[in-house]
Amino acid sequence: MLLVKQGDREAFSQLVEKYKRPVMNLAARMLRDLAEAEDIAQNVFVQVYKSAGRYQVSSKFSTWLFTIARNLCLNEIRRRSRHPADSMDASHPEQEDQPLQQFEDKKTVSPPDRLLHGELEAKIHQAVSELPENQRLAILLCRQDELSYEEIAKVLGCSLSATKSLIHRGRETLKQKLKPYLRSGVWLSPE
Amino acid sequence: MTNDPLYERLLESSWRGPLSEAEQAELKAWLEAHPEARAHWEDELALNEGLTRLPDVLLSNNFTARVMQALDLEQAAEARSRTGRRFGWRPRLAWSLRVGLGAFVLVAAWLAFHRAEVVERRNIAESLAVVANVSSLPSPRILEDFDAIRVMNSTPPADEQLLSLLQ
Repeated sequence: MLLVKQGDREAFSQLVEKYKRPVMNLAARMLRDLAEAEDIAQNVFVQVYKSAGRYQVSSKFSTWLFTIARNLCLNEIRRRSRHPADSMDASHPEQEDQPLQQFEDKKTVSPPDRLLHGELEAKIHQAVSELPENQRLAILLCRQDELSYEEIAKVLGCSLSATKSLIHRGRETLKQKLKPYLRSGVWLSPE
Repeated sequence: MTNDPLYERLLESSWRGPLSEAEQAELKAWLEAHPEARAHWEDELALNEGLTRLPDVLLSNNFTARVMQALDLEQAAEARSRTGRRFGWRPRLAWSLRVGLGAFVLVAAWLAFHRAEVVERRNIAESLAVVANVSSLPSPRILEDFDAIRVMNSTPPADEQLLSLLQ
């Protein structure tokens, strides 16, 4: 990041390569629209480059990056709520049973297993996407290995206890919605 | 489910990723002492697994290239904006001249109107002064017997025939 601060584009390119996936995952799960998520993810990195001068070395880069991502996602959600017609690709209630996004199929599983896992993934994805924004964001950030609870709290702009409470409440909602699937034990079976 | 600080700590740790060996040992001992919490723990574990298994979102192959392109566009726009600021005085000057000329015409029109108004007021004042002077004239009553006096003063026409006889 210090090199990026000095205007090193190659260093910036490496930074994008390293963080593009977590930022894109976060944006896609927050916005529920792949095309918009990619635009926002791109914008996150452009903002990072433009604001590099303001970056303080004392703070952790990923915290700063996810704070920018969070702000842009929330801005987009607010903008969408003001202009609902703008988002033509957003999910429709009649399609709720369909997977909301396209995912990379890295796993090589048998067709029935793939079908089952695909359904489960769609269910969990839908349940996550139905959570309130702040709970969804807290749960998604919680899965980022790089961020501690304190750093998640910084990104969310709330206290540590409030952050844990958000995660706890979000998980309770998810457990309620996914109870039949959780109890089936499918997720716990080895690949 | 439970407010036991140990269980809470293990739970929070499990939300972030797999438990360490030491934590697993702690959990095992704790669950043996609290078998009623096992179902809750298993739900938590299954949810963790489900969240972990959520696949990565599909990302376009040229994502980084597109970011760099967006950055180039952004920088080009900023450069244009800077250039615009440097030479932006020209259109501003033309605009200022137009505004100045417009303001001059308006002020001139207002002054002309004001001047005409002053002249008109002055004429009215002068007319009023003339009317005011009329009050110093004799009262119209003195003309009351004007016709009678006029008749008295009038002399009959000269009798030309008599005059010639007298001569």
